[in-house]
Amino acid sequence: MDFPSSLRPTLFRTGPLGLSNVPDMSFMCSWRDTLTLPESLPKNSENGAPHLSTGLLWEPETPGPLPLLPPGPDPWDPGVTAQDLLFRGGFPFRRKPQAVLDVTEQLSRFLWDHGDIAFAPLGKLMLENFKLEGARSRSKKKTVVSVKRLLQDLGGHQPWGCPWAFLSFRQRRFSILGGPVLGKSVASLLGELLYEELATRWEQLLLDDAFTGGALAWVPGRTAQVGQLVYPAGGALDKLCFQEVSLTPGGDPQALGDPGHIQLQGPVRQVVTRTVQGESLLAVRSDYHCALWKVSKQGRPAPLQVLQVGKGATGISLSPHLPGELAVCSRSGAVCLWTPQDGLQQVYKDPETLVFCDPSPWRWADFTAHPRVLTVGDRTGVKMIDAQGPPGCGLLLFRGGAEASCQKGERVLLTQYLGECSPESLHPTLHLICTQFSLYLVDERLPLVPMLKWNHDLPSAPLWAQLLPPPRPGCPQPLLLGGQGGHLQLLHLTGEGASAPRLAGPPQSLPSSSDSLSAFPLLEPKSQWRLQERLKAPTIGLAATIPSSASEPVLSLFQLSVAGDVFYQRLHLQADPGPNSCASTASWTPQATACCSRWLKALLKVPPAPPVWAAPTFSHRRLLGRMEQREVEPKGPEALRAAMAEGRLLRQRDLGSLPSAEPPPTPEPGPEDELSTRLEAAWEGQLATWWERQQGRSSGPGRQPKRRKRRTQLSSTFSSLSGRLDLSDATSPPHSPDRASPEARPRPPVTPPSQESTQELWARDVPSERQQTLRDYMARLPLQGDTPQGVSLPLSQTSSIRATPSRPQTLPDGTAELPPRRKTLRGATVSSSQTSSIRATPSRQQAPVLSGSQPHRKKPRMGF
Amino acid sequence: MSDFSEELIRSKTEDDKEESCVFSGTGMSFPWLQKHIGTVETGGKKEKDFAQTTSACLGFIQEALLKHQWQQAADYMHSYFQILEDSDSHKRQAAPEIIWKLGSEILFYHPKSSVETFNTFADRMKNIGVMNYLKISLQHALYLLHHGMLEDANRNLSFHCTYIPHLLYPFIYEDDYAYNTASQNMFDHSWKTSVNLRALIQTPGVWDPFVKSYVEMLEFYGDQDGAREVLTNYAYDEKFPSNPNAHIYLYNFLKREKAPREKLISVLKILYQIVPSHKLMLEFHRLLRKSEKEDHHKLGLEVLFGVLDFAGCTKNITAWKYLAKYLRQTLMGNHLAWVQEEWKTRKNWWPSFHFSSFWAKSDWKEDKALACEKALVAGILLGKGCRYFRFISKQDDQVLRKKIKQIKKSVKKHSVVNPGL
Repeated sequence: MDFPSSLRPTLFRTGPLGLSNVPDMSFMCSWRDTLTLPESLPKNSENGAPHLSTGLLWEPETPGPLPLLPPGPDPWDPGVTAQDLLFRGGFPFRRKPQAVLDVTEQLSRFLWDHGDIAFAPLGKLMLENFKLEGARSRSKKKTVVSVKRLLQDLGGHQPWGCPWAFLSFRQRRFSILGGPVLGKSVASLLGELLYEELATRWEQLLLDDAFTGGALAWVPGRTAQVGQLVYPAGGALDKLCFQEVSLTPGGDPQALGDPGHIQLQGPVRQVVTRTVQGESLLAVRSDYHCALWKVSKQGRPAPLQVLQVGKGATGISLSPHLPGELAVCSRSGAVCLWTPQDGLQQVYKDPETLVFCDPSPWRWADFTAHPRVLTVGDRTGVKMIDAQGPPGCGLLLFRGGAEASCQKGERVLLTQYLGECSPESLHPTLHLICTQFSLYLVDERLPLVPMLKWNHDLPSAPLWAQLLPPPRPGCPQPLLLGGQGGHLQLLHLTGEGASAPRLAGPPQSLPSSSDSLSAFPLLEPKSQWRLQERLKAPTIGLAATIPSSASEPVLSLFQLSVAGDVFYQRLHLQADPGPNSCASTASWTPQATACCSRWLKALLKVPPAPPVWAAPTFSHRRLLGRMEQREVEPKGPEALRAAMAEGRLLRQRDLGSLPSAEPPPTPEPGPEDELSTRLEAAWEGQLATWWERQQGRSSGPGRQPKRRKRRTQLSSTFSSLSGRLDLSDATSPPHSPDRASPEARPRPPVTPPSQESTQELWARDVPSERQQTLRDYMARLPLQGDTPQGVSLPLSQTSSIRATPSRPQTLPDGTAELPPRRKTLRGATVSSSQTSSIRATPSRQQAPVLSGSQPHRKKPRMGF
Repeated sequence: MSDFSEELIRSKTEDDKEESCVFSGTGMSFPWLQKHIGTVETGGKKEKDFAQTTSACLGFIQEALLKHQWQQAADYMHSYFQILEDSDSHKRQAAPEIIWKLGSEILFYHPKSSVETFNTFADRMKNIGVMNYLKISLQHALYLLHHGMLEDANRNLSFHCTYIPHLLYPFIYEDDYAYNTASQNMFDHSWKTSVNLRALIQTPGVWDPFVKSYVEMLEFYGDQDGAREVLTNYAYDEKFPSNPNAHIYLYNFLKREKAPREKLISVLKILYQIVPSHKLMLEFHRLLRKSEKEDHHKLGLEVLFGVLDFAGCTKNITAWKYLAKYLRQTLMGNHLAWVQEEWKTRKNWWPSFHFSSFWAKSDWKEDKALACEKALVAGILLGKGCRYFRFISKQDDQVLRKKIKQIKKSVKKHSVVNPGL
């Protein structure tokens, strides 16, 4: 192989990362790179100036990508955003940005929404100090407090609206005494954990490296015009789909028929395909499993093997040299070579990072020009490891440090071997290394010194890259770089034979899916917002192909979003790279807008995702229980209660005839209305008259009783609706102590709303003493019932996998190989057991969210 | 609760004076952090309008550049000059560099731009600060050189020649091209610069063009010892990156000098350690083959195997030819152990890497001569039963019939594989 005869001069500095936060602008300047090196200058400069491919441009056909497939049937929700995590408080503006996690709000929400969990254990401990029933404590012990009064004081408040509106002395004393105990235990126990969780969420929001490498792949078919897209679908991204797509030279890509699919038992994170020696292979990485399929000439996948990775897999790559060989890396820091025939061979293991200490467990491995040498990468650098050499040996290929003039805080996000293309293109020894700021091309024959550095300046993490073959012989090779936010950049690389790799022409940015918004019809705000969110959904995969047979090279680019949408765009290589050529602006064709409208129609049919969090409402359940005691009940309130208990809409026919023909009472102007009339009067300059009138009115003796009566009437009719409990008014219904006690007794704290409502229903048919026993019994459950479903179910899920091993191997990394679960492709139906496993798999949006985002549950006033 | 939040704020504000971009101990910085924070409403002092406008303008310029909309970029650039008036001195000082980088980029690609426009822009920009003057002059010269205006470039540079090496040092990394071209021109003019150049190439780095030119110059003046010293230092100084070119230059120099074979072998031995796939390895093999020492003969075999390990060399017919010939020679010389030693680490992957039936078919289709050489090697290493050998030996080709017969004979005679075992 040729080595570049003369390399670009660089100063070689060793040392840590640069201390500067400011990006180095020098790698933003592409024109110096496009110029050829001086010694090759005489060859090119026949007409004085060297030939520069300034007109090199891939022109998009439409202003933005278009949907290829109809949206999936599962609802999608953008999930946690920065607004949910960060302080919205007043921070003085600084030059440098600052993010502060809002632990306080989350904690306070937790205390309000789940006071039972927060305070119940302590309440139980302090039980002997409280007297729950009866009148004032006559006991001699001063340490026993009667709860009844406290509850009475608390009774009139809407807790969420204005919790500190009024405090009785009793409450005040209680808060002062109990506050430190109650507050401290919760804050100290929970605060740290919550902070940790929030920090993890925030880091994930900033960089979600699970999809590094991309979950979309293009498997070329028998002809250049047909191929298959392989991608995950479904709400949990656990259905691996194979969609045949035809690429006609003149028209848009067409999806042929329905996709075949394989149901997997975990979310798909990475899909890799490669054709080695005529054999197409497909490797899939999930969180804890990796699987390998062989794709036949007809495009049918045949499972080869499944691998279980105990600590979690972070990367998988297929060898470009030997069919069926893979490199798998695990969070534990181990890198293994994997072949279906010979199993696993651990090549490298080091839980520490390569260059300096970084907490990220992310590891990556790829191949090199030597089939037995692998690259092993982490956030700090990339090392070359000889699989046949003694363990622990290796040569650093890239070092996050002064060698590559990295800046402060720079970390490796992706490494990729670029040597798979045809021999007449770039050197097959090049590796692409992407950080959040720059991309580097490193030749494995000259480690540590990048051959090329380009400041990509992408506004999101570049986690996908693809080097494409030259569109025409002699043309530079396009290198696609994709960011998590859907941003795409296309670079033109040349440098074959004796010349060093360099940029040929300025890089260009390609439209991202949020640019497609203009192709959709304008909608009402809520749907528009939904569409916008959907188009903004983070990208999780990228695939591109240039069908070689076309006369004019066309680049077809597919993009998969986390919502499961596959969008495509077509780019033409600008035919005439004349000096006056300039980027022309593409416009929407009627077909494109029609396609978008169809897609949108299907999207709007998909029910929106249930809100991850709803504002808590005042508990009405207790009131319902109280009202059950009434003997004579008109049909209306009963229906109303039933509707409320079931959480459904109350309709006219449920009510039948209204209890009274009287028109509903006019709303009594409350104190706030007084205020507004007063303000109104003041505005009009008639405050004095208002005051006089007001005085006259309040002193009027006949006024008060009437008003009071009306209010009683109102509260009895609407108390269940307004959620107002006026204890002084509610003396009328005689109730047993059994009935009254549930307010103060612990309630089964964690039951999803559906269960909760049924619980009230069963309660109706159970004798009251039995109810009490049941309640007491359930009160003992609270903390066991709290295990989120997502935790216990994956266990059963893995056990269901473990139940089928035919040839389990214990591997150096504590992993075991298992045969894959075969599923019929092409319209395979999912059995019920599978569907349950789908639900069990925590998807992104279903992943255990913070306490505040769980469905609201009833909370008792106090935790004991 | 409020205590808690206050504590949080306090600790944050105290610790994060410098590294506010960094979060939660990972030390990683995120360029898109500001975007996320921007979505959260914050009270307090907002960024100044002017700063907002200029940063938006910069964003537009970069976007236009990435979309190759040169005219639009130029229009925005016109407005961006306002930043030179920024009251924030930090931003004002950083501005000229940004303006130069982006401005030169626009003018380089803009269809209506000419050398004159570029000259005017460069001359204007040079007058903002001394440091900028030097950098811009160098890049300007580079631009002129590439537009074939050597005279202008020289005039532009000759003024600085005397003090360039002193001032340039911190900028070398950035302006290596300019320096590179500049130095090439300077050779013609001043011998004095060579002293500075010598100092430069002793600094750790990759200085291929400089070293090449400097050695050429030394050779021109008849200073062979000096040239050798420069090249030896460049190749063997441990502070330098392991640059294959350093060894290649030294080897080529020694070859020109007609150095003894022993010496050449020792240079290539090191290159073999660094780049076993280099095309000089075949030359190395020839040298080793001709050597009298037995361990050189052994190394010769190792080198050939080493070359063929690499994906880029699988179709190198010379290497296969050498290997086929040398394998026979080695086996005839009763050195079966050498072959077995090399084969030991390769036997589990060479068959599928080189000798699969896929390659047999495709090699036969593309290059019959290559297929024959490979078949011979496959036969020797894997025996008659090997797929590659079987496929090739079954082919009925008029021209190659005789050759295939020979191969069969050699395989029968030399095959490493003992069918009895």
